[in-house]
Amino acid sequence: MHRYSFILMRPLQFVPVVFGVSLITFILVRMIPGDPARVLLGARATPTAIANIRAQFGLDEPLWLQYLYFLRNLANGEMGMSIVYRIDVLRLIGTRIEPTFALILCSVLLSILIAVPLAAIAARNQGRPVDHAIRFVSTFGIGFPPFWLGLMLIMLLAVRFPIFPVSGYGETLGDKLAHLVLPALTIALSLSTVLLRSLRAAMVDWLKSDVATAARARGMPESIVFWRHVLPNSIAPTINLLAVNIGWLIGGTVVIESIFALPGMGQLLVRAIFSRDYMVVQGIAMVFACATVLVNFLADIATVAADPRVKL
Amino acid sequence: MSAPVSTQRVNRTLIAGLVIVGGFVLAALAAPLIAPYDPIFQDGAARIQSPSLAHPFGTDNFGRDILSRIIYGARVDLQMAVIGVFFPLVIGTVIGAIAGFFGGLIDAVLMRLIDIILAFPFLVLMLSIIAILGPGLSSFYIAMALVGWVSYARLIRAQILVLKNADYAVAAVSLGFSRPRVLFRHLLPNSVAGSLVFCMSDAVLVLLSGAAISYLGLGVQPPTAEWGIMVAEGQAFLSQAWWITLFPGLSIVLLAFGFSMIGDALGEAMGVHE
Amino acid sequence: MSAPLLSIRDLSVVVRGDQGPRTLLDRVSLDLAPGEILGLVGESGSGKSLLCRSLVQLLPSRAISVTQGEVRMGGRDLLALSEAQMQQVRGAEIGMIFQNPSSHLDPLMRVGDQIVEGLRFHRRLDRAAAKAEAIALMGQVGFTDPPRQFAAYPHEFSGGMRQRAMIAVALACDPKILIADEPTTALDVTIQAQILRLLMELRERRGLSIILITHDLGVVAQTCDRIAVMRQGRVVEVGDKRALLARPAHAYTRALIASHPSMPVTNECSEVDDQADEAKVASLPPPSAVPARPLVEIDDLHIRYPLPGGLFGRRRSFSAVKGVSLQIRPGETVGIVGESGSGKSTLARAMLGLTPIADGHVTFDGVTLRGQPRVALAKIRHQAAMVFQDPFNSLNPRLTISQTLTEVLRVQGKVPSAAIPARVVELLALVELDPELAGRRPRQLSGGQCQRAGIARALAVDPRLIVADECVAALDVTIQAQIVALFQRLVKTMELTLVFIAHDLAIVRHLCERVVVMHHGRIVEEGPCAEVFERPREAYTAALIAAIPDIDPERRLLAPPVEKLAS
Repeated sequence: MHRYSFILMRPLQFVPVVFGVSLITFILVRMIPGDPARVLLGARATPTAIANIRAQFGLDEPLWLQYLYFLRNLANGEMGMSIVYRIDVLRLIGTRIEPTFALILCSVLLSILIAVPLAAIAARNQGRPVDHAIRFVSTFGIGFPPFWLGLMLIMLLAVRFPIFPVSGYGETLGDKLAHLVLPALTIALSLSTVLLRSLRAAMVDWLKSDVATAARARGMPESIVFWRHVLPNSIAPTINLLAVNIGWLIGGTVVIESIFALPGMGQLLVRAIFSRDYMVVQGIAMVFACATVLVNFLADIATVAADPRVKL
Repeated sequence: MSAPVSTQRVNRTLIAGLVIVGGFVLAALAAPLIAPYDPIFQDGAARIQSPSLAHPFGTDNFGRDILSRIIYGARVDLQMAVIGVFFPLVIGTVIGAIAGFFGGLIDAVLMRLIDIILAFPFLVLMLSIIAILGPGLSSFYIAMALVGWVSYARLIRAQILVLKNADYAVAAVSLGFSRPRVLFRHLLPNSVAGSLVFCMSDAVLVLLSGAAISYLGLGVQPPTAEWGIMVAEGQAFLSQAWWITLFPGLSIVLLAFGFSMIGDALGEAMGVHE
Repeated sequence: MSAPLLSIRDLSVVVRGDQGPRTLLDRVSLDLAPGEILGLVGESGSGKSLLCRSLVQLLPSRAISVTQGEVRMGGRDLLALSEAQMQQVRGAEIGMIFQNPSSHLDPLMRVGDQIVEGLRFHRRLDRAAAKAEAIALMGQVGFTDPPRQFAAYPHEFSGGMRQRAMIAVALACDPKILIADEPTTALDVTIQAQILRLLMELRERRGLSIILITHDLGVVAQTCDRIAVMRQGRVVEVGDKRALLARPAHAYTRALIASHPSMPVTNECSEVDDQADEAKVASLPPPSAVPARPLVEIDDLHIRYPLPGGLFGRRRSFSAVKGVSLQIRPGETVGIVGESGSGKSTLARAMLGLTPIADGHVTFDGVTLRGQPRVALAKIRHQAAMVFQDPFNSLNPRLTISQTLTEVLRVQGKVPSAAIPARVVELLALVELDPELAGRRPRQLSGGQCQRAGIARALAVDPRLIVADECVAALDVTIQAQIVALFQRLVKTMELTLVFIAHDLAIVRHLCERVVVMHHGRIVEEGPCAEVFERPREAYTAALIAAIPDIDPERRLLAPPVEKLAS
């Protein structure tokens, strides 16, 4: 079998996961106390609307049949209506994907830019003051609450020194990027501490490894030992760590978007929770879950590409 | 080798971590004795005062003393971290041990369940559950127990799977030891080191999540003093009264740092890498 | 001897620890002549690897440093060179190969590129020339299809081919001296013989000088010109191979030679083996007159492991044991030998009901495992015990030795609880373990002590059958000899049936009455030890025996033809 043939097979393994995800979101919404139809439509709903919803979701039917209806609607691309925005949930989410996606992308890139050089400096100076300093800062940084860090950055770089916009999202590309700097930096500072620690540990191990010793015994200078042998071997496991953290990262966007008033899915989720717009909560949870599954799939591909030994 | 040097450093890290966390624990326990003011007493005459001798960390927009609120807040935040770690640890250890040791169908079903839970971004699932249960600390604990066990279960399961094939486990089976004895006396004690170390980084995660959820207004409700809420309350006054936001945030950072140091020291002492 | 190429004088290396500095190498002096192979022999901790590392200033820790001495090569003192100058020496003048090629080759880099790296760096070849040269080198070290194998990754090769790759990587820098640090320890004997042969060929063809570090006197006897014996950081004896092996001057050298498990053959093979031989003769139990019912009976046994992958359709599996039949009578001492992957360990585990059986039967004392699994397992657990290869990992690291033994005694229930502490002491005495050590955990013991504890644990069952799986493979030779002697005594005094699994034929020859040779999951030959080893019927057995490096330099080792590379 070819090493990459899992790309064709793996999506089939997603099917049970996506089923499970839909089941959990279904159960979550059904667990809301009170009449689901009234909950779904809000207090101002007319009796006709309630009757319609009851018919649409088969709310008088047994629970398993309701789940089948739910799946049928899902297959038709319907996740119900938002009671606040009065439009289809999927279409609503569609308008909110771009800022969230851009934020996650910028955060990941930024955190790699921060973590890799610092990890390299720390690992190559293991035990020296630079290393201790970097480790201290990263241990400290892990405990920074993103919501608080975001506020501090706003205070410093938007209010005290008005370099970046305080909040919102722009129209043009440049404008958008300017608005993304602070939120992305907030997430990246948190994420990079995690990456930094694992990357440094991996680099320290590989610098002491037999591979490095053998390269030194061949007379390779330390720079070749590091860049050609240590770095590639240390990065492979970090890809996986990044993927594992992507769930955490997406969760982080929920808070960050609220602070910076970025009109993305996270902000929508928080508002939906407060306005009891359950169809939207359900829809976003599902979309986020599917995105996580997809990211893990991409990480698997990257891992296979980075390490010839890995077979999936 | 350089063992003595590194042992010394591990000890220093551990002591520093214990001092920080212990300090917060003491402050929380002795809050009524050491807090200069009542944490929810609103002093109309002392609104938004910058740090001074009377109010070392300043006051907020209701005239409440920030330092006193932070000391009382330690009670809530420490409680969140401890309970938020304890139940997932216990549930996850049991589930992971069973799945890893018995394998087969139980393992397959539990692993699929874990895959599904992990597919949800952590905070998104937490928020969804809390949205349904309604805001509050107990909702937070329930959501935490429903979601947080997953990491422990995976850790323990992976360890058990490795140790199950270790020679001493095979030896135990070949000597006629019963399955519970092999699992509980030989495998489990040798596999918990990783989770105990992970507990400390998890405590950081739980602390940050709890504070974030309170910050969003879905956790502890005002006027209770809690660090996440205090940050949220100061947000509106960011440009004029930085101290309302800064100090509760720093408290979170410091407590988290204490947990991380303990975790690092334990990890190095036990030879566990995360 | 001609002028030495490399000359080590009074080299001392010290580690700074919490209890002050400790000397690791103590005024070591050695010479290496051009084109010579010097064997550096010693047990673990003797400092032989460290000596070679310090020649090229690659010390394993910052706490370790050279305190005195010099290393002269080409008119310079290597120890006085700067790091930049040293980089020109490493690889280009002194190359190194290591014990474990799997961990020393970069797993993410193509084998060919790793050879090219040295060619480009030290010999300044351009990419195309380097590639051509790399392919030529791969041919020289025995790759069968270098142009194709150039692009393969290390994990795609077998252990023997990886070691060849590492040799090619070292040769790419064109060194004058090659330091080979236990280059064949991780390999099967037949592969070991090939690699040793290759090293000798390279010496002839390239005029290479080689320092061969090994714990195996047989390897030295077969390949080296001179031998240096090291112990606790000192060179205790140096000399010409033949002279040193025939007339060892130092007591430690004599002990080392006496411990070496050699194949006893026709009388010429000297006094050194007498001791071991006597022990063996003494250990032979009296020939049983009545053929008793076999204690273990294995009939057409098949064992398969499922392979990962294969989600759809055919579930692939690997056959570890393919149709093995074997009978073991009570009181017998049976050796099972074979190279890695021959299925010998799997067979051992199947005997004890520790691995699922795909097909066939295992019968223990008249009860079949598949027929009456409960009865059979209960019987096996009460009458059989296993001793493992890795002395540290086979004991629960959290329990002290006496806790471990007590637990077994309690669960087995053969000894009343009041008598357990006394029995623990008795067991320790039986395996000659100091009772003081009973309160220690495995990590606080040496390998030999741990293995004794492991044997004591097996004896705690009061078993009729002991299955020992490669139980001396991880130990130093002198310890190995002690453990083998212990087994001989136990078998003689306790009416034990012993199944002894090993890759080392010489040890089995000493210890066992009957031997079973396995290859690729099948039994290729079995019979009384003396017969099988002296007149092997099968070519494979003969090749296996011929590949054992004998301590007698006159009995040349024969390398079988180069392994066929699985594509």
